[in-house]
Amino acid sequence: MISPQLRGKLWKWNGTLGILSGFFIFIGLFLGLVVSPPDYYQGEVVRIMYVHVPFAKAALLSYTTLFLGSCVYLWKKDLIVDNLCHAAAGIGVFFTSIALITGSIWAKPTWNTWWTWDPRLVSFAILLLILIGYLMLRTFVDDKKREASYAAVMAIIGFVDLPIVYFSVEWWRTLHQPMSISTRGISIAPGMLVPLVFMMIGTTLLSLYMLMMRTQMLYLQHLLEAKQGGLLSEEPS
Amino acid sequence: MAISMVSLLGIKVSHTYRFFKALKEVSLALQQGECYALFGPNGAGKTTLMKIFATLLRPTCGTVAIMGKDSVQDREAARQALYFIGHGSFLYDDLTTLENIKFTIGLRGGLPTLGEMKIALDRVGIGPYTSQKIRTLSAGMQKRLSLAKAILAKPTLLLLDEPYASLDEKGIDMMNEAIFDFLKKGSSVLISSHDRVKTAEVAHRAGILHNKGLKEIPVTELVHALF
Amino acid sequence: MLFFNVIKWILWKDILSEIRSRESISSLFFFALNTLFIFSFSFSVDRDVTFALMPGLIWVAFGFTSILGLGKSFLSEVHNDCLSYLQIAPVPKGAIYLGKFFGNLLLMLAVEIILYPLFMIFFNLDILAKLPSLLIISMLATVGLSALGTLFSVLTVQIRAREVMFPLLLLPLSVPVFIGAVESTQGALSGDPFSAYRHWIELLFIFDMVMTITSFWVFEFILDY
Repeated sequence: MISPQLRGKLWKWNGTLGILSGFFIFIGLFLGLVVSPPDYYQGEVVRIMYVHVPFAKAALLSYTTLFLGSCVYLWKKDLIVDNLCHAAAGIGVFFTSIALITGSIWAKPTWNTWWTWDPRLVSFAILLLILIGYLMLRTFVDDKKREASYAAVMAIIGFVDLPIVYFSVEWWRTLHQPMSISTRGISIAPGMLVPLVFMMIGTTLLSLYMLMMRTQMLYLQHLLEAKQGGLLSEEPS
Repeated sequence: MAISMVSLLGIKVSHTYRFFKALKEVSLALQQGECYALFGPNGAGKTTLMKIFATLLRPTCGTVAIMGKDSVQDREAARQALYFIGHGSFLYDDLTTLENIKFTIGLRGGLPTLGEMKIALDRVGIGPYTSQKIRTLSAGMQKRLSLAKAILAKPTLLLLDEPYASLDEKGIDMMNEAIFDFLKKGSSVLISSHDRVKTAEVAHRAGILHNKGLKEIPVTELVHALF
Repeated sequence: MLFFNVIKWILWKDILSEIRSRESISSLFFFALNTLFIFSFSFSVDRDVTFALMPGLIWVAFGFTSILGLGKSFLSEVHNDCLSYLQIAPVPKGAIYLGKFFGNLLLMLAVEIILYPLFMIFFNLDILAKLPSLLIISMLATVGLSALGTLFSVLTVQIRAREVMFPLLLLPLSVPVFIGAVESTQGALSGDPFSAYRHWIELLFIFDMVMTITSFWVFEFILDY
């Protein structure tokens, strides 16, 4: 489905993508951690936001990629798309974990607790569990085609369910903890907006870069095992 | 060679398990009322080929068409035409023989009458066991029941993977008679077996599957062919 | 119509097997009962606290029971390779899913219907008047669990580490069911008017619709991979 020529072109651009993402993240972090002003209420701690928010968005982006890729796989049954899904899940774990850890670090000085039943934090924790379950499922299935289909089904169900999880926790939280401060209540000063935007662009590019790298890695690994199994009838490009 | 309306055509079918290629370039065409016997050493891929024709597995490349219906695009239509007797008996332990027949055939949308079911059971030699639970039946009797279900399903293509396994001598002869009946009624039969003598009695054509390829040989040479 | 025919036959087979062997319903029932006993020993506190914890206890018990019951719903199909027959049967696969789904639903509801009166007895609760609403809530929550449980049962039945993977995959995705069930059960037990816990019922309903329909659509990709 993805022709070798297209793959070659994408792969050539990947290096540029990596450098570009590094550039944006460096500037974003420099501006965010050093230059930008501290928040009126939260002080220096707000700087965590420059990592937490973009990484959380990147996690959701990876998850959406996983969902769309799974739908495409079930439609076309192309194993490269399956490699893409596998890669997206791994990257999703990376970004979700960091989002959760930074979220927790943010929570401690702000609300004096390591964990808060904030719907977004809980949804991210469940997202992490879904992704880990997804990756574990893949290791326990024997046949490659079966593994790809089962994983795709899992991803689709998980993606459809996550919004419901989010809303259910949000309703539950407003019922039981009406005094919590919402994480949305931060007014963004202009000095904060610029580094945030840089970080957002940077992490998006980073997630794409990582996705390409990991997909290529999985594809090559698949090919290597196939070759060792002695079953390649023609040389792949 | 003209291909009649009822034909099974497999072109360049290949299949890979996780990283192990089970089949490579198999081509097979079967006519109406024809019986093809498939032989080969263990591990040659006979069961894989049978499973591909039964639409249990999707070929990595190539097409399988049953009565003109592609096994991937027109899967339900292709499946309507075939019936597969494999290693598993497809039987539910807690149900009786009659209930198992009712489920298998009823699911496909055509419930046979009690009389028809009893005739089929008598035909395969387990007439007295209509109310016995599968749990209490031996493997040979379960095999006979599988055949009874196939008879009632009236398929256009019958796929038999090791049909003589678990059967006694009378059972094997009964199986061959039933295969003759199927062929007379215009069905095609594909048998995978290790029993050359008995299979040679019913087969019109034979093939040996080895080195991941299929080589056809005359049935007369089957009993003494080496592989 | 072939579609409903398939659902009918699958239901018939499962109910008949269950009546003959009584294997699932008795093991599930005694498991839930044991869980109840353990709870009553673990939470030996005063009556008001027990009453406040009751919705949570009920749904933890039902949750564990569901994992046990739903997890093995396709196990009978793997024996003798019956699952392969279902795969190559010329029938719509979604109908097979629904047949299994309804079978699981009936089984779980049967266990719950027997358990509620036992809850009343062991925890000395006077909930006879509230039983209809409790059963409706149970019905909605069990539909949600069965919808996902049936799908994950077939997903895990032929993989390694089946017993671990089934709850691992099911539980995170069932969070809305548990939240909705516990909150509405609490509302019903406290005697609140329906409008007080109405949006929890709506949550359960939305979950049920979305997950049943999605599972129905993707089921065929598990049988025919």
